[in-house]
Amino acid sequence: MSARRSFDARVRDALADPHLKIAIERTTGNARTKRAAAILSWPSYPAVRDLARDIKDHVIANLDHYLVQFERNALASGAQVHWARTGQEACAIVVDICRKAGVRSATRAKSMLGEEIGLPHALADAGIERVETDLAEHIIQLAGDPPSHIVWPALHKTREQVRALFLARHHDPGALETVEAMVASARRELRARFQAADAGISGANFLIADTGAICTVTNEGNAELTTTLPRIHIVTAGIEKLVPSTAHAMALLRPLVRSATGAELTQYTTFHCGPKRAGDRDGPDAFHIVLVDGGRTRMLDEGLAEMLRCLRCGACLNHCVVYRHIGGHAYGGTYPGPMGSVLTPIFDGLPQTRDLAQACTLNGQCQEVCPVAIPLPTLLRGWRDRSWREGLEPATVRWAVRAWRFVALRPALFRLVNSVAVRAMPLFARGGWIRRMPLAGGWTDHRDLPRPAARTFMAQYRSQRP
Amino acid sequence: MTDARSAILTAVSASLSRRRGGQPAPDPDSIAAEAEALRLRAYATRPDRGPGPLDVSFMERVVSPGVAATAERVAGLADFPVVVRRYLAAHGLSPSIALQPHPDLLALDWSGIETHDRPGLDEPVAVGLALGGIAETGSLVFHSGPDAPTLFAFLPVHHIVAVEANRLWRGLEDYADAGAGHPRNVNLVTGASGTTDIEGTLVRGAHGPGHLHIVLIGGAG
Repeated sequence: MSARRSFDARVRDALADPHLKIAIERTTGNARTKRAAAILSWPSYPAVRDLARDIKDHVIANLDHYLVQFERNALASGAQVHWARTGQEACAIVVDICRKAGVRSATRAKSMLGEEIGLPHALADAGIERVETDLAEHIIQLAGDPPSHIVWPALHKTREQVRALFLARHHDPGALETVEAMVASARRELRARFQAADAGISGANFLIADTGAICTVTNEGNAELTTTLPRIHIVTAGIEKLVPSTAHAMALLRPLVRSATGAELTQYTTFHCGPKRAGDRDGPDAFHIVLVDGGRTRMLDEGLAEMLRCLRCGACLNHCVVYRHIGGHAYGGTYPGPMGSVLTPIFDGLPQTRDLAQACTLNGQCQEVCPVAIPLPTLLRGWRDRSWREGLEPATVRWAVRAWRFVALRPALFRLVNSVAVRAMPLFARGGWIRRMPLAGGWTDHRDLPRPAARTFMAQYRSQRP
Repeated sequence: MTDARSAILTAVSASLSRRRGGQPAPDPDSIAAEAEALRLRAYATRPDRGPGPLDVSFMERVVSPGVAATAERVAGLADFPVVVRRYLAAHGLSPSIALQPHPDLLALDWSGIETHDRPGLDEPVAVGLALGGIAETGSLVFHSGPDAPTLFAFLPVHHIVAVEANRLWRGLEDYADAGAGHPRNVNLVTGASGTTDIEGTLVRGAHGPGHLHIVLIGGAG
């Protein structure tokens, strides 16, 4: 992953990429339009959002209770339950299961938790062949890229780039002149790999406490082929994925899927409960569930409990003005965008990731579209605050904030500075927009600045006051 | 990993206790009561599909653009093979099907069609019987079992599925509440397989079936 380079350097790379913004806009634009239509046609959505938030808060407030209940029921279904404090522990458990069962090849259905804990690397280190089966994950596995979006991991690739990749790497690609042909080629390429795998590894969208089942949602059908054909199914899931019952999962599925893709339900919503039963003709002989903490209990203690509501729908990414400019890779963590900027400091440490919270405009779009009403801007401000208090902000930033404070506390000086700015800035404007201005290159190199109003807010306020 | 288990549970309980300001943890009965109140709240917020009969609303939903299956209705299950024969002919498919080993299907007259009970990796056509359907979303419900292997819904290119009109639920919770049992796999299938992974463009037939044909058995019509 590109985390070794500085955030600024990664952002520069992203902004200089001529294809990236086109690719991001094609997918997120589509997602925003479809989500908006789905929400608009559902008048009770505000109440749904409150309910979704309350279900998640109820689970988090009783997390220990539900963990124990889930474990009991999962064991009763014949599943084997494992617990991992860290991502490293979780990977070690998965690799150990694979080694003991003589697994040489494992198919994977897309799981962001798997990425979070570094499972792809752990499998590679253990010499286990990893076959990504979600189309987007297949694309980025061939390209050697990390995911750049939590729902569309290959969103940074244009169709032209996918075509070139498949032509070079698929065994029987054909001409690949349409997206349909590319999808068909991937289907042919992966068909036999599903059957050849010894283990299938998935994540879970929900862990159902009262049945011990895990729920996955997919559109392609790859998850079910991954979990049904091999002799072992391994699930890795964060402990916050619990819900009390199947009915509660249903109530969360509606806002989850609408927020993610604008559909009412994914094509395949599957509840997996234990291994193959007597008389079953298919299904895995062994079913393992690895419950991963990986910083989640720490989030409870560090004022980030609300972040544990997250359903990983990706709506905050699609609506974020920053994500839409720089894409997922510039964030340098597993999770990009607003939710990623809140989560990454937990996983990678604030000193290495303090730029993420600073790279937010605090326009509030993310919170508005979040189906579980996570106050993302507030949580991001929390990281900024902590970064300041812990002395992580560089001297230039501290100096600039102090200078601003000095001016802001002196109203006459504040007004003077503002009135100089509104007089000076229009000198650089052409047709309502400023394309270039001294000291503003950081902004104007990549977008225009609107020409300011003719008079300052205070001047207008004084003249309009009765 | 007993250590990890107790470490996680201890840390979670300690953290929750701090959040409650040292108050004791709620007892299981009050947690259950709170969960039940949340469950009941879902009913008032469900998408309104109008007051029409379940079978009509189910049929509308399965052919809606979001689900985009094809569908037809016949009077009884005995008519199902006729529909399958017609479908095979209309799509230029050879008369060979993977037939879900359900006794009700095995009892039908499949003359003229070769049937086998295991779908191949690239099975052209599988024919099955759903446990039921959900009108709200146009979903078919499959419960895995000896007479309903999971792979029938995922391996074929064409999946033709019969569902009885008297086995429809209004919404997702109605299915969940019906206590239809807890099989190894519950598969809610809502349309044919699709992907939007390349530039957000929807393409059908990603890994699962490219075509889903639903045959509603009985009902008012």
